[in-house]
Amino acid sequence: MSAILLIVIPLLAAFLSILVKKYSANILLVVSFASVVLLNYIPLEVITIGGFAAPYGINLILDQYSLIALYAVNVLFFLVVAINCAKFKKLSSILLVALAGLNGMILTGDLFNLFVFMEVSGIAAYLMTTTNQKPLATFNYLVQGTVGSSLYLLGLILLYAMFGTLNMQDMAFQISSSGYHIAVTAFPFLLMFIGFGVEAKLLPFNSWVQGILGSSNRLTGPMIASVYAAAIGFVLGRLLTELFVFEGTLLLIVTAILGFSIVAGEAMAFGAKKVREILLFSSIAQAALVALVFLSGFTGLAALLLIANTAGKLILFLITNTATDQLGNDDISTLQGLFVNNKVVGVSFTVAVLNVLGLPMFFGFVLKMNILLEFFQTDHLLWPAVILIVSVVEGIYFIRLLLKLWFKESDLPQVEFEFTLKYVVVVVAALLILFGVYTAPVEQAADDLTAIQYIEGGNL
Amino acid sequence: MASIELLLIIALASGFLAYLLGRVNRVYGAIVTIVSSMFVFSSLAYFGFTDSLDTTVSILPYVTFQVTYLGMFFAVMITFIYAMVSFFNPMFIKDYKYPGAYSMLYILSMAGVIGVFFTDNFMVMFFFFEFIVWTSMFLIPLGHSRKAAVSYYAFSAVGSFALLFAIFMMREAAGSFGINAGLAAISGTNAIVVFILLIVSAFAKLGAFPLHTWLPIAHGNAPHPFSPVLSGALVKLGAFVAVMALIKITPNSYVIVALDLPLAQYLVAIFAGLSIVFGTLMAIRQDDAKKLLAYSSMSHGGYILLAFSLGSSIGLSGGFYHIVTHALATGAAFLAIAAVGRQTGTTKMSELGGVIQKMPVTYVVYLIAIISMAGIPPMGGFISKWLIFQAVIDKGLILLAAAVFFGSIGSFLYVFRPLAALFLGQEKPQFKGILKEAPVIMLIPMIVLSGMNLVTGIFPNIFLQFINKVIVELGMAPVVLGTYTIQGTNGILDPLQITIAFGIGVVIAFIIFILLKKSKQVGLMDTYTAGNFIYSEELMHYSVDFYAPIERLYEKHTTHVQDMYKSLENKVKEFGNVVKYFFFTNKPEITVFWILIIIGALLWGDLL
Repeated sequence: MSAILLIVIPLLAAFLSILVKKYSANILLVVSFASVVLLNYIPLEVITIGGFAAPYGINLILDQYSLIALYAVNVLFFLVVAINCAKFKKLSSILLVALAGLNGMILTGDLFNLFVFMEVSGIAAYLMTTTNQKPLATFNYLVQGTVGSSLYLLGLILLYAMFGTLNMQDMAFQISSSGYHIAVTAFPFLLMFIGFGVEAKLLPFNSWVQGILGSSNRLTGPMIASVYAAAIGFVLGRLLTELFVFEGTLLLIVTAILGFSIVAGEAMAFGAKKVREILLFSSIAQAALVALVFLSGFTGLAALLLIANTAGKLILFLITNTATDQLGNDDISTLQGLFVNNKVVGVSFTVAVLNVLGLPMFFGFVLKMNILLEFFQTDHLLWPAVILIVSVVEGIYFIRLLLKLWFKESDLPQVEFEFTLKYVVVVVAALLILFGVYTAPVEQAADDLTAIQYIEGGNL
Repeated sequence: MASIELLLIIALASGFLAYLLGRVNRVYGAIVTIVSSMFVFSSLAYFGFTDSLDTTVSILPYVTFQVTYLGMFFAVMITFIYAMVSFFNPMFIKDYKYPGAYSMLYILSMAGVIGVFFTDNFMVMFFFFEFIVWTSMFLIPLGHSRKAAVSYYAFSAVGSFALLFAIFMMREAAGSFGINAGLAAISGTNAIVVFILLIVSAFAKLGAFPLHTWLPIAHGNAPHPFSPVLSGALVKLGAFVAVMALIKITPNSYVIVALDLPLAQYLVAIFAGLSIVFGTLMAIRQDDAKKLLAYSSMSHGGYILLAFSLGSSIGLSGGFYHIVTHALATGAAFLAIAAVGRQTGTTKMSELGGVIQKMPVTYVVYLIAIISMAGIPPMGGFISKWLIFQAVIDKGLILLAAAVFFGSIGSFLYVFRPLAALFLGQEKPQFKGILKEAPVIMLIPMIVLSGMNLVTGIFPNIFLQFINKVIVELGMAPVVLGTYTIQGTNGILDPLQITIAFGIGVVIAFIIFILLKKSKQVGLMDTYTAGNFIYSEELMHYSVDFYAPIERLYEKHTTHVQDMYKSLENKVKEFGNVVKYFFFTNKPEITVFWILIIIGALLWGDLL
């Protein structure tokens, strides 16, 4: 068993599904489930492709970090697909390509290869979002995504010209041993960071988010906000920990971008009047927070926070978009009273929200406390202050939303949630509670992830 | 021996049991709240006062316990309020949208109280602190207003996060989350920051000026039985935080020699004084009896903070005793209003009148409660206010003493109004014939609380002796107590003597009442004014604009603080909109523009 199967099988299945269109949805379901199962049998290793040793050939890195990332992404992907595959049969091949691209992105140890997988999964995403029926938004997404990946490529070319390597590990080593002044690598790093910033929803490169998530459906909403966000977050995390060296002006710029994204994201969500807008703006802030935690070197906590956020977003977007599909729009006033007759769904939604807010008994609380503790221990008092202040804002708009959804006297919205969806959201919500109460494995995982032998160089 | 851990687990488990039984029949769930809260209260009180609470932990992870007099004081008092109020739950549960959830959250929030007050670990304390916040937050919207819960959450979050930041700062200083270690380790500039943060937290939880605007909204709109819990019990969490800040931390601040008081403490005292004054003024204006009591809670929160900020034994003792007497009085008053609200469907004074004729017991309960609140003997409120007056005057704080007296006299004005408007006066036509006294199960806790209001007034030393232990634990000299007397700074108070004198007065009044001619009841329409015949009974209701001349003095200045928060909220929204305007367009070229700006920022000075 080799990790390469995680890329190859979906890719092959994608071609196969074109040939047997009738069974494409089944193939998608089986393959996405198979990759989750497969993860249990793959040993942790570095795979060299084509027999060329690392700096010259492409290698795939399956370490503790990418294994957790793969678990998160594949499980979330499977859940989204399981709920939607019947309805979006036509997209089966594209979704399989997306899976291959996402797995490839997480696994690859080669920076150019990463660009390829970014484009593969990007194109799959553009195609997927056509089902939103908002061509202009998709077009914007396409243009911005392309600009982003071009900038990434440009930055990579500059690095390649300087160091003559594309391998992530080798590059990090070359940079740290070359003795170049830090300003030399700052420009290419910034370009690459911006390239990722577009996909990772960081302000000000993320204007596509409003169009895409604001009019998303049951497939694209959870897919982009949860599955893609998880994958991009993990890759960005790896680059931030292992490759990028941010110091001086560059560090200031990146920190400013992240800080601004957190504050502005929450402020925008505070003023939003549509449920999906609240969710998408809050996910901007969360994505930036995850990146900030990665940047600060708390890799394990950042990875877990990413998982908690994306799992929560899965619940929130699934429920919201199901209701929106059936009710026609997602104004808060339309959805008001949604949970009065859908208590199970409502409780799961509530758990997801309380988890995002970091209230006790939920996974988010454990993570938030540990992250704040880490910041304090490294004498960064500004970030805890910022996080806590925006938490108040976040709490207000989320609680306001929750109460609207729970309370209405008459004229309740009629929404049917099917069993699969209920099952999925309840299980995910139960996990968020479980890890909020039973914290030992969480802290163990965070320590393990932080303690992995990361490559020399990078920010650590 | 009784294990605190076991008690906590039983409380949590009974919360879920209440939910399950509440699904079967909503009243069963409510009955579980009675059993559970009575059990928790009586175990805490019994084992606590016999010094046999066991702190060993065998199941819960990370949780550690310690028993302090301070923690026990708060825990016993708060669970007592929970236990008393729980008797109201079965009668109100039918009105709630989510009855099972109500019973569950009611018990869970009480379980949180055990966690907060019996731990020696800041993180555990914060865990339960926040746990109480979100469980109680979901209880509030079951009443009248959803917005109330949002504003409760917002201010609680400010309080909690200020506390959390302080906790982390203390942890950095001490190296562990231990409460005593943390409070002892903090020093220098950090101590000032921690002090401010804790005070912010205390003010937010206690609803003191200028963080008070949530109080009337939350208390006024919460379900009737939950208002007394909020006002009598949960806001007292703020007092606990205040004790930590004011007594246990000494920020290195300038000492005002003339007053022998550090500047930090003096500033807190001033804000506390403002809370008293503003709370009183706002309470005078209210039409809704519950909102009125909420503002009175704000003013009483000011008393508590003021007492703690003085740093003397008498002040401390007065503060702690005021926590007890106010909890008992406000609990009884809110319950009485809740009973009226249940029987009539409204708590607005302009819509009620003459309730005494059908609900005499409720009337007496309310009467006793407001006598205590106004600080008149022989109720508990008199004793605690007397102690606070002693402490304030002893420090020579003239202006604050004026505020304290103003609050006391003001409370005559406002607590009398519901009495007159709601209970006395003429019976409203729409309630004639249908109004009945509250059911027995509701009368039980009201009578018990009234009894306690009396006991705290006549035999305060039972409680003050325990409070002395708390004070000694905090490192101060105990207040000198006789068998029945309290030694103040300028004299001795003998509550028993006062009560006897008061009792003789009552007896004389009663004899006169018996001997004099019986008054005759006449119909309300049986009159005319200025040549006009009265055609509607509502016109004779004199509780509307009761204190119009006083209100006119400040009616234009009652919304400044709300306006401030409202505009703060708008500013956040505007900021969000500005960002949206600049960054969220449908034009990719704008994004490219911002990318260029950022790249330009990096290259500035090198290439550009």
